[in-house]
Amino acid sequence: MNKLRLFKNLFLCTLLLIQGFVMAQNRTITGKVTDSQGAAIPGATIQIKGTKSGTTADADGNFKLSLPTSANTLIISFMGQKTQEVNVANQTTVNIKLEAENTTLTDVVVVGYGTTRKKDITGAIAQVKAGDFNKGITTAPDQLIQGKVSGLMVVNNSGAPGAATTVRIRGVSSVRSGNQPLYVVDGVPLDGRVARPSLNVGGLGQTPDANPLNFINSSDIASMDILKDASATAIYGSRGANGVIIISTKKGTPGPTRLDVNYSIGMSNIMKRLNVLDADEYRAALKQYNLTGGDFGSSSNGMNSILRTGITHNVGVAMSGGNETSRYRASFGMQDQQGIVKKTGLKKYTATLNGQNKFLDSKQLGIDYNIMAAQTTEQLAPITNDAGFTGSLVGQALQWNPTMPIYNADGSLNILPAGKAVNPAAMSEAYNDKANISYILASVSPFFKFNDNWEYRMTYSVNHQVGQRRTSVASFINLNDVIGKGSAAYNTAELNTQLLNGFVTYNKQLNSSFNLNAMVGYEYQKFNYSGVNVNAVGFPTYAIDYTDILQAPAQANTHLSSFRNPSSELQSFFGRVTLNLKDRYIFTGTMRADGSSKFGSNNKYGYFPSFAASWNITKEEFMKGGTFFDNLALRVGYGVTGNQEFPAGASQAQYGIGSGGSASLINVANPDLKWETSKQFNAGVDFSILNNRLSGTVDYFYKNTTNLLFSFPAIQPAPASNYWINLPGKVVNNGVEVALKGVIINNKDFTWNMGVNGTFLHNELKGYSGPPVITGAINGQGVSGATSQRLANGYPLNTFYLRKFIGFDDKGQSVYADNGEKLYYLTNPNPKVLLGVNTELIYKKWSLAASGHGAFGFQVYNNTANTVLPIGNLGSVNIAKSLLGNGEALTNAPSASSRYLENGSFFKLDNVTLTYNIGNVGKVLKNAAVYVTGQNLFVITKYTGFDPEVNTDKNVNGVTSFGIEYSPYPTARTFMFGLLFSL
Amino acid sequence: MTYNIFRSALVVAACVGFTACSLNEKLGDALVRKDADSIIKAPQLLQNAYNNLQYAYQDFSQTWGMSEMSTDEALGPTRGKDWDDNGVWRELHEHKWTPDHAHINNSFKGLLLLQFSATNVLNFRPNPGQEAEARFLRALSIFSVLDLYGQVPFRNPTDTLLNAPKVMKPAEAIEFMKSELTAVTPNLGNMPATQAYVANKDAARFLLMKLYLNKGAFLNRQAPTFDAADMQEIIKLADQITASGYKLADNYYDNFARDNDVKSTENIFTQQNGPGFSTSRLPSANNVFCRWMCTLHYSQRPSGWNGFTTLSDFYDKYEPTDKRLGGFYSGVTDTSGLKVGFLIGQQYDQNGNKILDRSGRPLIFTREVQLRATGDQVEMSGIRVVKYPPDFLTTKSTSENGNDASNDFVFFRYADVLLMKAEALLRTGNAPAALLLVNQIRLKRGATPLAALDLNSLLDERGRELYWEGWRRQDLIRFGKFLQPWQLKPTDDPKYLLFPIPTSDLAVNKNLVQNPGY
Repeated sequence: MNKLRLFKNLFLCTLLLIQGFVMAQNRTITGKVTDSQGAAIPGATIQIKGTKSGTTADADGNFKLSLPTSANTLIISFMGQKTQEVNVANQTTVNIKLEAENTTLTDVVVVGYGTTRKKDITGAIAQVKAGDFNKGITTAPDQLIQGKVSGLMVVNNSGAPGAATTVRIRGVSSVRSGNQPLYVVDGVPLDGRVARPSLNVGGLGQTPDANPLNFINSSDIASMDILKDASATAIYGSRGANGVIIISTKKGTPGPTRLDVNYSIGMSNIMKRLNVLDADEYRAALKQYNLTGGDFGSSSNGMNSILRTGITHNVGVAMSGGNETSRYRASFGMQDQQGIVKKTGLKKYTATLNGQNKFLDSKQLGIDYNIMAAQTTEQLAPITNDAGFTGSLVGQALQWNPTMPIYNADGSLNILPAGKAVNPAAMSEAYNDKANISYILASVSPFFKFNDNWEYRMTYSVNHQVGQRRTSVASFINLNDVIGKGSAAYNTAELNTQLLNGFVTYNKQLNSSFNLNAMVGYEYQKFNYSGVNVNAVGFPTYAIDYTDILQAPAQANTHLSSFRNPSSELQSFFGRVTLNLKDRYIFTGTMRADGSSKFGSNNKYGYFPSFAASWNITKEEFMKGGTFFDNLALRVGYGVTGNQEFPAGASQAQYGIGSGGSASLINVANPDLKWETSKQFNAGVDFSILNNRLSGTVDYFYKNTTNLLFSFPAIQPAPASNYWINLPGKVVNNGVEVALKGVIINNKDFTWNMGVNGTFLHNELKGYSGPPVITGAINGQGVSGATSQRLANGYPLNTFYLRKFIGFDDKGQSVYADNGEKLYYLTNPNPKVLLGVNTELIYKKWSLAASGHGAFGFQVYNNTANTVLPIGNLGSVNIAKSLLGNGEALTNAPSASSRYLENGSFFKLDNVTLTYNIGNVGKVLKNAAVYVTGQNLFVITKYTGFDPEVNTDKNVNGVTSFGIEYSPYPTARTFMFGLLFSL
Repeated sequence: MTYNIFRSALVVAACVGFTACSLNEKLGDALVRKDADSIIKAPQLLQNAYNNLQYAYQDFSQTWGMSEMSTDEALGPTRGKDWDDNGVWRELHEHKWTPDHAHINNSFKGLLLLQFSATNVLNFRPNPGQEAEARFLRALSIFSVLDLYGQVPFRNPTDTLLNAPKVMKPAEAIEFMKSELTAVTPNLGNMPATQAYVANKDAARFLLMKLYLNKGAFLNRQAPTFDAADMQEIIKLADQITASGYKLADNYYDNFARDNDVKSTENIFTQQNGPGFSTSRLPSANNVFCRWMCTLHYSQRPSGWNGFTTLSDFYDKYEPTDKRLGGFYSGVTDTSGLKVGFLIGQQYDQNGNKILDRSGRPLIFTREVQLRATGDQVEMSGIRVVKYPPDFLTTKSTSENGNDASNDFVFFRYADVLLMKAEALLRTGNAPAALLLVNQIRLKRGATPLAALDLNSLLDERGRELYWEGWRRQDLIRFGKFLQPWQLKPTDDPKYLLFPIPTSDLAVNKNLVQNPGY
């Protein structure tokens, strides 16, 4: 790759100067720009018609402009308002009132390597703007759009601050990990990984992943565009198959410098508790079951010993401003979120600087720049995905015998001998785990406008993350691997990705009815990931944090390892053509060729084309005069996208070096390995009626994913149990999405808006003849090796495959269909219907916004009920209250079965926010507002666990699981107070 | 217009048309084959092959579980909420397993991984000694796959991994192992000069003895035959091994103790364990410490997983004086109160205090056990078995429950050489000579000498001497007893003489044919 050449090219481009305009100026005009309500519009653009000169309105909407005598007309424009032309002949003062525009049609939507007017869109794209984001405490941007967009499912994997989410656009199409959409931040596609080292200390299991988007400050985001169908995502080629989410950050606008300040404080508590026995109930249960032991005479509550009210502070300051040639925005954010579990939380510091400068007299050359820096400190509790019989913190707390004291009489922690129940308060005390990650995402993007038609833009960006994680488990805790010794780990990880692209855009109104927009470009990306791990056991004291004295243990008890993943490179050529005929017929075609170093030597390049067309029916002659539809457009599209989320290095033979100098072939090389292909057809209708008071979109899609990337059983004898192949077979996702927005009441003082979106999904694996693929591990005591899900031909992905539980026999033992010797394909965890509801009531300066979302027609496997709280615990530790008197014997084995499948359907009231818009306070404060928000106010569900919206990672050999709960970090309910103002 | 088009094309070309780079994937912490050829040396790959013994043989869930839990010697009872594990342990004992059995699946892969890694040594220019070790390890893997699954997928060193390998049927596999073991013996180290954890001449001879002895069973499991010539080979090989100077140990349990590499006078082939050996091996692989962990109660020290037991009928095969029943062992019983061998009745700590179970009752291991332990006996039922004396010394600075125990894992032991020779003699009509060998062992173990020897009493003696060492299933099949009912296994079916080929392996290698009945 000749990077030097790129810069040389750019330099050449900048030399192509084009003459600017020179104007005679000899009169002055002043004026004020307001909206239809009479409020000033700072930053409105005032342009002299027929020229490129003009100005912008100041903070009070006022402007002053010199113009040549020959000029008679001003063009006044502002985003969201209808552009107006005003005749100013013979005038020195004008007051201009702009009318709000039907925003759904004029919004600019980011489509990848450029933007387009919403009316020119031919694909299925949804945009959510900052004003519509979910309020409350969010740590990552994906939570902002939960429930806002049809076809988009965002599941918080657990309630832990900063935890990963499961994001699915139009269902699950892949049979391994890597189902998350591609995130693009201000034109930079991200690596899906985060530099947080993983670890497993003291046999407690794997802690869940962190959200890779934690480095973004929610209040820096201006809008998010969700690209759903292939005609929209094909421009991202081999990384577009799971859909694309484009995050655009706020930018400075021309006008006076402004300072925006926001502050909020929140209080969080557990949303829902599980029903376990208290001390008296426990004693009664012991009697009921004729148990003599198990009463330790005290009264305690394990969950209370690890929970607290979490306080969250959030402070943000942003400065922005600029003029026609130079604008900037700088922001600083601090979020200190305490988790509802003791010793957990997320501290986050963010700083961003972005801007645009234009150079040369002609202002043809410009540079956009964007720097996002962040530092997160995540404090973790030992709450893990796959804890064995010692359990993880939440499991230990749920299980804690309520008659057993947590503290001894002398105030010390009551710690039992090794092998016995673990005191959750002691566990929390003994466990220290902090992950620190520093992030830099920087990009610089020069552009050159040759003339009205041609524009060239290039971007260079670096995404650099360094993470370090220190974990120690103090020697006093009665875990077999830790007691009397202590255990610690210090792990680091480093992520480095680089991107270089360049593209040329050509835009020309060829004649009055024919507009051509074309783009062609090149992109190069490189991804690197590496890390170093140290762990040790046997420390002399826990008075000092173990990770500060790693030299203390004997050398033989210290283990050192490091790794560097194969680097991967992606080189792409792409282009797009959009033809607009009379604003009625719009055609878009895109093509991307992706070469990836990951692909096998026999398949280096993949080609991803797409076509789409839309027909704006309301512009047709025969619709003229019709009053019913304000807008009616049809869209159809078809495209091919790819997925290349398999580990780099899988296509070639790798010899690894083990400890003690041993060496081995570590994989089965597959030189035929290539991208997974999704072909998607989409047809949609956009409409608005009743004077745009009701608008909506309906889409049908059919997505067929083939060449499924899959870690397949290797043909033994082989150096590994699995290897990567493109699986014969296909995953079909089809469905219908509906989104409606309505203005129910629209008076001077009172407005009521409502939005509803629904998604109907169907998913199936077809044409697959290989062995059934197992996933969905079930963990805990007595279920080693149990799994719950399968990928099998003719069934939805992750279909539950389990014994059928019938009931109990007269001895209280479980009875299963066919004696439990046969397992059955049962229901699946993929919701059939997704629902999102948003509403806003505005009365004068008050506004009340509420949003909720739900999912229906799916089941969740309750691994918590299965192995953490079974009846057999009675006499030693706690049980689920619902088990009392259910006819089950204490000795009944809790085999994984359909008994623990529960209906997961739910509706959750995510968010209610009451805002009072104070407006301007004196001459100093502007746009001041105060608000209160309630988050996760209630959930309507039959599910008995913490939250039906859960996804504990229970993958087997990297095959993704879905819809299993295993003693996760509980979901929080939060009340928040906030204020914001500008200066 | 032409000019415009030309200019436009130029601009596009200048701004977009970078020279495409060639996409070469650079590996990070690994080497591509070409570099590996010159950098990696045979001993490094050989070490890896040895490492691959651990999961396949030492872990309690793999070949060991298949070879012992499926017999009258061992049982993994379900204890209320514990040890259900999808029924894998009950299925093994009841002979009800299916091709989806997780451990049967993993063992197949683990053993064939050993074959692969041993074979791959041959691609890296080993010297004759290294080559002999690698071929021995390969033969051991083939032997186990043949024993358990009845057919052996086999790859030559240069075979491509994307193609299905050929599958050896029993006769072919037997001939192959015979010629391999015979060929490599001269190039292996002599005993006792060689450490037992390095493949040596006697290890190859031992494996050859096993092969001759089980040949008839491998060819016909329902009606094994025994060639006189094969028996003579066994006797000859036994004498060659004896000539290396092995002696039956004065203390039976020294063969399995933490310092068995020094103390044992019987061990022929072992795997080295200890810090730096065990923890670095395959993920989730346990070393020999899992032998005691899976049987000891939570309240004992080391605090175990309260699982496996033996059965009372098997326990009753011993006389009370038999030292193999166990008892005090220095460094163990004085440290934690734990005795070695068979644990029955009340358990005590090192100070003589009664150990209590988790609900506060005295911990008394009962004689009898059920597949699903019930009632008050749920934690306490069954006789526990501690064949390897737990290592308290090495694990002092780490964890008594950790994977660092130094007891080397015993594959081949001299007592078995004597018993195999006795069997060869007995099967060729020389019962008196066989009786002498058996009584030589019994005397050393504190048992009354037998007056006469027949196949039944020889099988019993093999059970008593080699209990929980992973030979019982093979022995029961060879003696034609594997399908007979025994405690908690009332019925059987001939298909269980072989384990099934795992479903996923069957699907990817069309040369494999599912064993009859599955």
